[in-house]
Amino acid sequence: MNAFDSLMGGFANALQPMTLMYGFIGCFVGTLVGVLPGIGPALTIALLLPLTYHVPATGMFVMFAGIYYGAAYGGSTTSILLNTPGESASVVTALEGNKMARRGRAGPALATAAIGSFVAGTIGTLALTFFAPLVVEAALAFGPAEYFSLMILSLVAVSAVLGNSVLRGIASLTAGLLFGLVGLDLQTGQPRFTFGQTELLDGIEVTIAAVGLFAVGEALYLAWQGKETKAGEVMKVTGSLWLSAQDWSRSWKAWLRGALFGFPIGAMPAGGAELPTLLSYYTEKKLSKHPEEFGQGAIEGVAGPEAANNAAAAGVLMPLLTLGIPTSATAAIMLSAFQGYGIQTGPTLFSQQGSLVWTLIASLYIGNVILLVLNLPLVGLWVKLLKIPPPWLYAGIIIISTAGVYGAGNSVFNVGLLYVFGLIGFAMRRFDFPAAPLIVGLILAPMAEQSMRQALTISMGEWSTFVTRPLSASLMAISVILLIAPPLVRRWQQKRVATA
Amino acid sequence: MTPFRLALCLLALGLVGAWQVTLIPESPIQMPVGPILTPAVVVGLLLVIALLYGLSAWRGRQLDAVLGDDGQPLPGANRRMLMLLGGGAAFVLLAVPLGFVIPATLCGMGVARAFDEPLGWRSALVCGTIALLFWILFAQVLGVGLGPAVAWPL
Repeated sequence: MNAFDSLMGGFANALQPMTLMYGFIGCFVGTLVGVLPGIGPALTIALLLPLTYHVPATGMFVMFAGIYYGAAYGGSTTSILLNTPGESASVVTALEGNKMARRGRAGPALATAAIGSFVAGTIGTLALTFFAPLVVEAALAFGPAEYFSLMILSLVAVSAVLGNSVLRGIASLTAGLLFGLVGLDLQTGQPRFTFGQTELLDGIEVTIAAVGLFAVGEALYLAWQGKETKAGEVMKVTGSLWLSAQDWSRSWKAWLRGALFGFPIGAMPAGGAELPTLLSYYTEKKLSKHPEEFGQGAIEGVAGPEAANNAAAAGVLMPLLTLGIPTSATAAIMLSAFQGYGIQTGPTLFSQQGSLVWTLIASLYIGNVILLVLNLPLVGLWVKLLKIPPPWLYAGIIIISTAGVYGAGNSVFNVGLLYVFGLIGFAMRRFDFPAAPLIVGLILAPMAEQSMRQALTISMGEWSTFVTRPLSASLMAISVILLIAPPLVRRWQQKRVATA
Repeated sequence: MTPFRLALCLLALGLVGAWQVTLIPESPIQMPVGPILTPAVVVGLLLVIALLYGLSAWRGRQLDAVLGDDGQPLPGANRRMLMLLGGGAAFVLLAVPLGFVIPATLCGMGVARAFDEPLGWRSALVCGTIALLFWILFAQVLGVGLGPAVAWPL
């Protein structure tokens, strides 16, 4: 069956009333968490993991995909109206979007962000539809050695490329790997790092770490700062919520260029959404016929980065669905959800769970339409949400976080661990350690160890298997380059600046 | 807390990890890689990273938000953090004997206090409502096991 036929089958499932309802809930909740500061898609999906026991896998993943896409849409509202990006990928949108709102053009800024997100999200999903089977075909040649090398590449890329410092990225990753090894060894059953606590024998749940770092850590940091006691200044939605002919002509090329930046970079290990949004912004600034408007509220500066952000969201799903490799914290938590259902991720996912995967991809198309319909007409509701005073907003976030973790295992030990991770998250935020490597390390540590052991068993204990198999050696070489290139480039740039 | 003290914490974590590695029993199963190698490598890496970070912090090259764009926290930073953590501790201690709603309300009140909302009836009412609504949504509608809304120790 080719990709098109499979996709049609996916649409038949995704359009079932119950699946559609999960998609709608996901899009609504996703937009909500994208709008609200202090709560993002990774945290929301982590909190919903306990529901995996009650909701069928297809419904759950359709909902998660809705949350993921919805958060990318919702982040723009906060950036434009509050100048406070709900997530890092929306930082660039705030540069021009908030300036547009201050000039009385909040409506067109929200409209170009929403329509651009729709266009780029659809282009990204189309690319996912037709490129994913090709990646799967290539990945079927992977053995355990290649998988181990791919995981090393993913870990190095997430740690060394993201964030401001390779050292802090690697420190975060190493802590994640250490936490990932807590519990019974999967092959021998020996307890590791458990301190004799039976609660730790099953390991540290990704939910606890993610919710602790993102929710409790963030709340602790903001409470420590003490500057977040009143809701910020929310701009009024002024101007038509539709685009004029001039706005259309200035936006459409930026949407397409943004999508072209977003998808491929999002699909790369550690590509993320920050880099394509920045690239899109600077490209639009360079190509614009009105460069003088940049910094004052140029519509291209909202259209391009928002499109790049949504296309990157589709791109991140590519390595997750085809290789089982998470390249962001949200993807890592979605991988954990797959494990919760006992579903083996990787290239066999498409053959063994074809119906689930194609329903998920079809639901992304439907989700884009739902989000376009939800975003603009409900903008008044989103604005009201932005006016919730921080004491109640964070009280709600922490109560729901505590409830989510407590409900997952009915264990107060886990709740205590949640606050320990909250303190770790606070320290990481204060001292500028990236959180994504810790989460990705936590989830990939046992998987990478398993692949390494399988590869060594096959090679009769020969460690050279990782560098003598061409594909594995190539992946290892890329990892080494990624590890040493950023500091070298930084040093070279510093030298250039010093000599100039 | 300074980056250098954080490096000491990382070093301590690494040393605790090293002690734990020594307690991992050898596997009776014959295999190329047993249960000790990976933890030992990770702990070794953590110790090296902690030393490198400590050295860099000692030279003043590591960041602290206090010196960055966010600036110094407002007075009472430790008190606000303790209020938030106190809310969490209240939940941990009381969730089993009192059920979900009362400890979650106290937890929310601690958080609200950390954001300068006075402890009082208004805070109790808002946080109690949030806790009750979440209990209904999670435990009753979604079937997540949060235990009873209210219990009383005998």
